Amino acid sequence: MASIVFEQVTKSFDRTAIIRDLDLTIEDGKFTVLVGPSGCGKTTLLRMIAGIGPQTSGRVLIDGKDVSRVAPGQRGVAMVFQNYAIYPTMSVRENIEFGLKNNKVPKEERKRLVESIGETVGLSGLLDRKPSALSGGQRQRVALARAMVKKPSVFLMDEPLSNLDAKLRVQMRVELIELHKKLGTTFVYVTHDQTEAMSMADTIVLMNEGVIQQMSSPAEMYHRPANRFAAEFIGLPPMNIAELGPDGVQLGFRPESAALSEEPLDHHLCIRGVIATREMLGSETIYQVRTDKQAYMVRSAEDRFEVDRPVYVGVPAEKLHFFGADGRRIDERSSDVRWYLEAARGLVYA
Amino acid sequence: MKTMDLRYAKLTLSAVLKAVVLMIFVFPFLWMVSTSLQTLQETTTVPPTFVPAVPQWNNFVHAMQAGPFLTYARNSVVVTAAILVIQFVVMIPAAYAFAKYRFAGHRLLFGLVLLAFMIPGQVTFIPVYLMLADWGWIDTLLPQIVPFLANAFGIFLLRQYFMQIPEELVESARLDNASEFKIIWKLMTPMSRPALATIALFSFVSHWNEYFWPLIMTNSNSVRPLTLGIAMLRETEGITNWHIVMAGNVVLVIPILIAYAFCSKWIVKAFVYSGIK
Repeated sequence: MASIVFEQVTKSFDRTAIIRDLDLTIEDGKFTVLVGPSGCGKTTLLRMIAGIGPQTSGRVLIDGKDVSRVAPGQRGVAMVFQNYAIYPTMSVRENIEFGLKNNKVPKEERKRLVESIGETVGLSGLLDRKPSALSGGQRQRVALARAMVKKPSVFLMDEPLSNLDAKLRVQMRVELIELHKKLGTTFVYVTHDQTEAMSMADTIVLMNEGVIQQMSSPAEMYHRPANRFAAEFIGLPPMNIAELGPDGVQLGFRPESAALSEEPLDHHLCIRGVIATREMLGSETIYQVRTDKQAYMVRSAEDRFEVDRPVYVGVPAEKLHFFGADGRRIDERSSDVRWYLEAARGLVYA
Repeated sequence: MKTMDLRYAKLTLSAVLKAVVLMIFVFPFLWMVSTSLQTLQETTTVPPTFVPAVPQWNNFVHAMQAGPFLTYARNSVVVTAAILVIQFVVMIPAAYAFAKYRFAGHRLLFGLVLLAFMIPGQVTFIPVYLMLADWGWIDTLLPQIVPFLANAFGIFLLRQYFMQIPEELVESARLDNASEFKIIWKLMTPMSRPALATIALFSFVSHWNEYFWPLIMTNSNSVRPLTLGIAMLRETEGITNWHIVMAGNVVLVIPILIAYAFCSKWIVKAFVYSGIK
């Protein structure tokens, strides 16, 4: 178990800084998910922890120890790669054993460890197979077993589920949560999928263009996004954003916070529009409501509106978010919020 | 019906073409084997004999007894084996470094490797000969081995192959606390067997069949390879003993055929290789 600290870390590729003066503390024993669009620097952070893509400047500390000059194999970390990186010429057993052999673990103990891990991840009967004879899900398990067998203090995972089919992905998500609970080790997980981040994380670190946008629990990030980027990245469909006034303030509401009706609604915000598209997903329906200015997404448990029907979209005051011209969240306790709420009421006639 | 006819015609044509190409390649071998079993008289008759009246197995005995055949064979084996082993020791780490490391001057150095394999050997023969003569190496096995220890073509081919191996595998091995030597030995080499087999075969054939270089580098039979020994079978008393020469050549070719039979599976893999999934 170990905490990870980044101190004033900069990483450049060919003199272009991808990450600049970043400070971040990843708590001991927590399941931390680094999430963001591709190219945001999340994998770069992970590789710095592993030591396979060291920082250009600054310090990385694992368990309080500066590991900047420690070789990847000596850091006490294990990593699961997106494409699993299983050694194709070695059997499953040899794959799992490779790290132990390099760490000079005696043969008897190796055998015992490999077999017990094989059982844990459900590979018992497959230990002597070559990776080419395994399915995607089984390869994934080999990669996990290979990481687990070393008993690392930090688990690093780089989009480990992205090559699995949707059903298996959901199953593995649950298994990873259970694994984390069982091991109690620090997990650092990289993904671009906000659903994965929301469902698995104790703490989400949301990144964009090498800068941390918000670091908080999934609930906090969903209910109180720190800025427009967070508001639009987390949530599916993303938060609706609309211009509010001349000072660049914007208003936002989640598709699931809005109600739809054929009659004008008594909600704080009430917008009139026409249903442009309708996606029936079974348990819910997602509508796109178009006004003369823009379109809003609305998620509804009911499926009773047809395309081209005029409707009203209503949102209660407590479900409204406000963002300043700089994109940052305007705190609901701020004195300006009352003024913005009034302005939002005015949108009825817009 | 017409389309069926057309299909058969196409198939027949393709079979005939294949047979022609096959004959072009196989004929010289058959001719060599046939001549090696003929009498001197049969080799000179017109029209030429293809199937000898009585196979002259004695030709092989003659070929081997005409000179210090075992010495020649030993020299060929020592020279070729030494070249192959040392080439691999030099080539694998070099290719790995060029494929997976970004060190200062790597482009320049790789350029030099390419240059080495682009310059025709003839250009360097004389300066290398003079240098080795200066060192007193003429008439030893060393000049037949040392100039060939680095295989520029092999480094190039193997580098390309290594570059196709995903970076994550190397990184994963580093996280598994494997040394660079272990990564090369346990990971890169087993994954590159097809390329290594191809390089080994090409190198083996070219050095086993080397003629010109040993010819100018040797003065005595004790350091001559098989190729020179067989060439010397040709002239006795002004007549060319084609049947004996060909018997020697059959012996010379056998190891190559064995090597090819052993490597062909891997060579095909090396050329149809389309990435590791």
